[in-house]
Amino acid sequence: MSAYEYLLLMGACVLITLPLELLFQARVYRRWKSALWAIVPVVLVFSVWDVVAIARDHWHYNERFVTGIRLGDLPLEELVFFLVIPLCALLSYEAVGTVLTALRSRWRTGSARSAEGAHGDAAQSHETQQAHEEGRR
Amino acid sequence: MNLPEYTVMTLIGMVVVIVLELLVVRSGIFRRAQYWAALGICLFFQCLVDGWLTKLSNPIVLYNPDEFSGIRFPFDIPIEDFGFGFAMITAVLMLWQRRLNRRSPVAEAADESRADVAGADVAGAGTEEAGNR
Repeated sequence: MSAYEYLLLMGACVLITLPLELLFQARVYRRWKSALWAIVPVVLVFSVWDVVAIARDHWHYNERFVTGIRLGDLPLEELVFFLVIPLCALLSYEAVGTVLTALRSRWRTGSARSAEGAHGDAAQSHETQQAHEEGRR
Repeated sequence: MNLPEYTVMTLIGMVVVIVLELLVVRSGIFRRAQYWAALGICLFFQCLVDGWLTKLSNPIVLYNPDEFSGIRFPFDIPIEDFGFGFAMITAVLMLWQRRLNRRSPVAEAADESRADVAGADVAGAGTEEAGNR
């Protein structure tokens, strides 16, 4: 089991960030092609860095905790790392975007309400939002 | 001055990514609170994941003491790892944001004036998906 420890850690990263897609509307998996366009160049460049670092003995891996599967000089775990961590970064970025948008909407609705003289109820501010949205299109 | 190689590669990696963003990719992420907040969150979680990978009691990754600064913080994480993480996260976010900017300029415009447009995410989402089809 310990040979899979590194891979399991990466699996945990995928699981922990899954709610960002499902609950925070990150929509990264749903835009998987765009995600790949961003992630693949990073995988390539950082894999080269990793291979150079291993070759020049900057670091190496504890054989107990890796599968030993290698693609050329690159351990499978490192390839997975370079896919998973950027994916987690994209999910975080989009989830933060969702939260910031919600906060800014709320802030704006609040200030609009006070400008209206405090008689804008929830339905009214919702209509205001829709009007703004339509105006945008 | 004789800097260790991992230290040098990390500094070069960070500078290259910053220069690429400012001069070539120009996604605008450095002007977004969204980027800085996500970076902070990612670096926090890096402490946990990288801390597990590098813990000296039972390390998964072992570092050559001659090739990094020797500074391990927090836990047993070589500080260079955070430069590595910064470069990787910034690279992927700038490429992602550039693609969003290009694919849906309307959504991007809505994004930039998020403060004016309540529900911009809904409007942007529709546009983005339309663009993807």
